Formats: sequence, C-alpha cells, structure tokens
Amino acid sequence: MLWIKNGIVIDPKNGIEGEKMDIFVKEGKIVEESEVKKEECKVIDASNKLVVAGGVEMHSHIAGSKINTGRSMRPEEMRVVRNVAGKFRAVVGRVLLTAPGIGYEYAKMGYTTAVEAASPPIGSPHTHEELDAIPILDKAALPVFGNWHFVFKFVSEKDQEKLQAFIAWAIERTKGYGVKIVNPGGVEKWMYGSNVRTLDDEVPIYGVTPREIITEVVKANEALNLPHCVHIHCNNLGVPGNYETTIETMKLVSGMKNENRPVLHVTHVQFNAYAGSSWRDVSSGAEEIAKYVNKADNITIDMGQPIFGHATAMTGDAPFQFTLHKLIGARWSNKDTEIEGGAGIVPIVYLPKNPVHALQWAIGLELGLLIDSDKVVISTDWPNGGPFTEYPYIMAMLMSKRMREKELERVSPYVQKASSLPAIDTEKTLYEVIKMSRSLPAKILGMENKGHLGVGADADIAIYNINPNEVDPSAEYDLVNKAFRKPAYTIKDGEIVVKDGELVAETWGRTFWVDATKKVSMEAIEADLDEYFQNYYTVERINFGVDERWVKKPARLEVS
Amino acid sequence: MLILKPKKDFEVSVEAEITPDLAEKSEEEIKNFEVWYGKYKVKLGELFEIKKEGDEKKLILDGDFSRVKWIGRGMTEGEIVVKGNVGAHCGAFMSGGKIVVEGNADDWLGAEMSGGEIVVKGNARNLVGCAYYGDLEGMKGGKILIEGNAGNYIGEKMVGGEIEIKGNAGDFIGTEMKNGTIIVHGDCGFVGGDMKGGTIKIGGKFDLLPSFKKAEDGWIGDVNVGGEGKIVKI
Repeated sequence: MLWIKNGIVIDPKNGIEGEKMDIFVKEGKIVEESEVKKEECKVIDASNKLVVAGGVEMHSHIAGSKINTGRSMRPEEMRVVRNVAGKFRAVVGRVLLTAPGIGYEYAKMGYTTAVEAASPPIGSPHTHEELDAIPILDKAALPVFGNWHFVFKFVSEKDQEKLQAFIAWAIERTKGYGVKIVNPGGVEKWMYGSNVRTLDDEVPIYGVTPREIITEVVKANEALNLPHCVHIHCNNLGVPGNYETTIETMKLVSGMKNENRPVLHVTHVQFNAYAGSSWRDVSSGAEEIAKYVNKADNITIDMGQPIFGHATAMTGDAPFQFTLHKLIGARWSNKDTEIEGGAGIVPIVYLPKNPVHALQWAIGLELGLLIDSDKVVISTDWPNGGPFTEYPYIMAMLMSKRMREKELERVSPYVQKASSLPAIDTEKTLYEVIKMSRSLPAKILGMENKGHLGVGADADIAIYNINPNEVDPSAEYDLVNKAFRKPAYTIKDGEIVVKDGELVAETWGRTFWVDATKKVSMEAIEADLDEYFQNYYTVERINFGVDERWVKKPARLEVS
Repeated sequence: MLILKPKKDFEVSVEAEITPDLAEKSEEEIKNFEVWYGKYKVKLGELFEIKKEGDEKKLILDGDFSRVKWIGRGMTEGEIVVKGNVGAHCGAFMSGGKIVVEGNADDWLGAEMSGGEIVVKGNARNLVGCAYYGDLEGMKGGKILIEGNAGNYIGEKMVGGEIEIKGNAGDFIGTEMKNGTIIVHGDCGFVGGDMKGGTIKIGGKFDLLPSFKKAEDGWIGDVNVGGEGKIVKI
C-alpha cells in the first residue's frame, strides 16, 4: 500500500489541473482513501512535486523482426554500453537498445506502457518473445493488416462478414491488440518492384485500391468495436507533396463516429506532412493537416518528431525504405517481403544544418503545436525519428517559444521560409503535454485503466521534481526539460521502480491482447483460411500464431 | 619512462588501455591502474612488473604482449616501444605520439587513428587502419609503417593519412577508401573495391577489379560508385 502525500496532481482525464491532493494505492490499483490502512502505507512525500499518470507510448518499435535486424546491421549502435550486468541486466545501445534497456529507459523517464506499432503476423512468436524480455512496462503489439492477402481478398469481394471474422481471428492468433495498416497496397506492389502513388492505384492481381482497403478495414474495426481504432501509416510516406494523400486518407472516415475514441489514428504524421514537388522545393504541409484534424472529430495523430542525432529508419513500408536508401546512400536491409507485409531498415543521422532534416524537425513541432492537445500524441516513432528518451525535450519545446527561438538559431535557415514554426506563438501548457503523453494515447488505445489517476486505474504513476503551480515552462524550459528526464519516482502497478532517476527494482508488466472472436462467426472464413494455408503458407494453419500460455503475463481483453 | 614486463604467460587476453600518460603518474597509481584479465578487473601491478624511471612520457613494453589488447588506445602524445609482439587494437583511435612494435602486430592496428605514427618492424595482421564495423570512416590521419607483410583488409573506409607496407599484403586493400594513401611495395590481392578517392600505390603483382578504368599513370575507379580513386604502379 502506498500513500502519495501532498503531491500537485495533473490528471487531464479527470479534469484535475494542479490540485494538491493525496493518492492511495492498494494491490496495484489506485483506490479511495477509505480502502487503505494509513498506518500500513508506505508514505511518499510528494510536496511541491508534480504527480501524473505513467506515460503511455502508443507508437514505438520495441520488439520484432525489424528492430532485431536493425540491431544486427548496426554494430556501431550496439557498442555503447549503458549498463553492466549486476543488479540489473546488461544494456547496450546508443539509440537502438537491447530489450531490457527499452523497459529501463522508458521507466527512467516516467513511462510505464508501450505499444509495438508494427508486428508482422507470422513473426508474432518472435515479437512476443521480445516483448517478454522487456521489463517493467505493460506492452501490446499491433499486427499489420494493410498488405495481407486475406484482407485484399475479402476487400475485393466486399465481404464485411469475412473481413471482420478474419481480423478477429488474426488478432487472437497473433495475440495482437489492434489493427495496424502500413502503406496499404504499396508494400504488396513493392513485391513487384514498385509502389502505389495515389489512393486509387490498384494492387496487382486483387485489383483493390488503398482507398478500398482503408475504408473497409476501418468499417470492420468499428463493427467489431475493438478498443483501439485503426492505426495507419499512410501511403506516400516520405514523398514531397504527400500531405495531400494524408488528408485524403483522413477524409475516408468522415462521417464515421465512435463515442469512446477516434475511428482513425494517423501515425508519425511528420513523415507524411510534406508540401512541394521535390526535395529541392519541399516545404511544410503541417498547417493544412492541422486545419483538417482540428476540424474533424474522429481523427487523432502522433507527431513522429525527429531528434537531431542518430536514428534508424525502420518501417513496415519496404518501398519507402528503398527510396530512402537510394536518397541518402546509407546501408539498407529489406525484410519480411516473403510474408504478410514487408519492411526495410536504413540508418540515418538528422543534422540541424541539413535543410531537409531541419524542416522535418520543424514540421514535427508544428504538428504538435498547431493541433489541439486532445488530438496529437507525442512520439518520435522510435527509432525512426530518434531516441524516445528525448520526449522531455519535445515537451519542453512545445511549452516554450523561447526555447524554440534558441533552437531555431542552430538549425538550417531553410525552415524560416519552408515552415511556419518561427511564427508560431502557441505555448502548450503542462496540462496539455501531460494529456498528449498520458490520457490521450490511453484513450486512443482504449486502455481504460491507463493514463489517469482516478480510482480503479492501474497504479502507474510518475512523480517529477517540479511544482506545476510555481514553474513557468515558457521561461524555465531547462528546468522542465531536466525534471522530465529524472523522475523523483516511477511507480508501476504500485511498486516503486525508479527513484531519483535511477532504477531501483525490476518488475514484469503484462502483455495486453484483444479477443473479439466471440463477436464473429469463424465458420465464414474456415475454408478460405485452410485454402491459403495449404497453398501459400510455409507453416500449417495449426502452427500459425501464438498461444496465450507462451506469453509471460498475458492480459486478455474480451470485446463483446 | 615506464617499463612493464609481464609476470607470466597470460592464459586469456588482457585488455589494457595504457598510454604514455601513465608514465607521469605515481608508482602507486600505476600499480593500481585497472585492466581486464579475461572477465575480471585486475590491477596492472598484478599482471606486470613495473619500473618507473623519471617522468618522461614513454612506455617500454618488454616481453611478449601478443595477448595484450588496446595498447595505446586514444593516445595523444609520447612514445610506446613494444620489444616483442603486440595484441589487437594497438594504437586504435590514437591522435598523436608514436608507437614502435619491434615484433609483430595483431588485427586492428591503428584502427580509426587520426594522427601520430605507428612503426611495426615485423608483420601486421588484418584490418590495419580500418573503420570498426558499422562506422563510416576508418583511418583519418597519421602514418602506419609495416616493415614486413600485412594481412587482409588494409585501410578500409580510410579518409586520410598513409599506410606503407614494405612486404606483401592480402586481399581487399583500400575498400571504400575516400582519401589518403596506401603503399604496398610487394604483392597483394584485390585492390580498391568501391573506392571513391585516395591513392593506392603497388610495387608488385596485384588483382585489378574490372571496375577500374585505365588512365595515363595507372587506373581510376571504382566506377561502380563513381569513384575517382587512383591505383598506381611503383
């Protein structure tokens, strides 16, 4: 039992904005004061400290074949020793990290939940093995659907019943959490050596278009009422002029509504927010996207903010990764083309003086600033945009125009004419950045017990050494930036795991997965599944996927 | 000046990042300097006999150092003389000073060095002046002279400085080289694959890749990467 005393609480979900209050924890949950025996509580003095829910990472590449290939193709990343084995496990990695390091570093920043954003379905046993090696955090994985032949088939047949049954089957089999779509149709076309360029380009053989795939999959997701909305990596990623494709994609769901969450989450939008016709005249399309998102009531995004320094581009978007490799000349690995998706990995360094990199950096921030704080989530799309350990930098930048002015001095002057960042006066409040990193991602993911401090929530709590009622983030940005890097406490399921920025305990979180199989009739797709597995898969149907008993701490969410 | 003598034949590798700076320290500090003996951290004094003669920035390594790695790593000035053979990574990342190896050197001699001089009286093994795996630049400056033969992978991703080999060398000389000079007086195998710039001079026989064009005084390539590197016969 814990008694967190006199903390200054910010809890956007429950409308608490800097109130001095006590929080009580029992058996890993936040409870009413009357539920605990105060004399048995461990007391944490949180006077003058900010108390918030543990951070929720909704888009990061924390496990699976891509990150692992990234590790093996980047020995220079893995030469950085972060932690020598002792009380805790050994960790190596500069920006890419070994599995234990992912858990440790998130916890050391006050984050307690993270979602793997693109898991190749047949590779899901690997994804779960790696998730099981990440300590502390609660985890989940999103299998990729946008280029799966079953999806093409059922979309081309316009058979919603089969599509829904298939999605429910696939999520159950892969122990996944929701539906991810990566460059729908484009990755399939990559297998023929090209890519789709518009929402109406046809996928070979099946004849379906990205427009049809997205629309039908969103419909199915809504009919199943899965906790998480469709999570999309748009077509034309990394192509100047692509902001139009992004907005067109968003328009596909206009008119659709879900009471609890958006119906479409568009991820790492920075990479999909370029105007212009080439890298020579590229500029920011963030304003147009922000305008659309602010107006819509069913769309959220995350930033995909680049951080200057080393990064590794790794996405399920194989054709884009090839383009990137050709563009920057860095080494390249093409992955997973033989399975239900594709992927590529290319090392990259974001340089402040490089006009394109500086523009990408500016666009990420523009999105964060121009979009309402209940529609944009903080992310670096780790490791694509850079280290997630720089979230405190992003938070401080969003809250301080002065900090941005200082940073703008060191970046290429190209951003002055190609983006609106220098002219933006908006300063997000502490309340808003807490929302963007806690309650909003939890809401989009449909994780009711995450991202807030109300009674019944999981006792995932971060306590930082700033008093929100005294600090002025606009002026004291250095203080804010430092405070968020070094929580006074990180508490996971009621256990103190980090104290004064240092790890003090290693715990094991759960892996959430969604079971919607009761909502559909499996019989509808039995014949199709059998036929595909017999004719095209390298494994028998019975050997496909992950059994619940193989996962270390599974947490099943049944959809009814 | 500091003289180190191994107390025994080492059963496993020693990793000792010792530089001439050590000679300026007190005898006590030198004895307690931490090195790795296999997986154990030990004190320099446990493995070596230590004799200090004045404060001159010079190390004399007297005996067989062939299992001692990382000697002179990142050194900036002073001198190291190895009376026998030396282990891997000798002079890696060095930026100044001089290392003389009277015997043979192991792999990764002068890897990613940026200045200073290394002289090997015997032979050197593979990966002389190379980039560590994944890094974009190998040797950046300084000079490596090998009086005997050298192994495979010499000056990979080299961007500056000079490597001179009096004897023969193996395959893959100057792969992905961008600048600097490699001189092989004897014979060697494949040369200059994917080189973008710099010069490779060869005295003896060598294998020319088909991706080099004939020029007035030698060959230019590698054309596969639009390279302007030069291979010259001496």
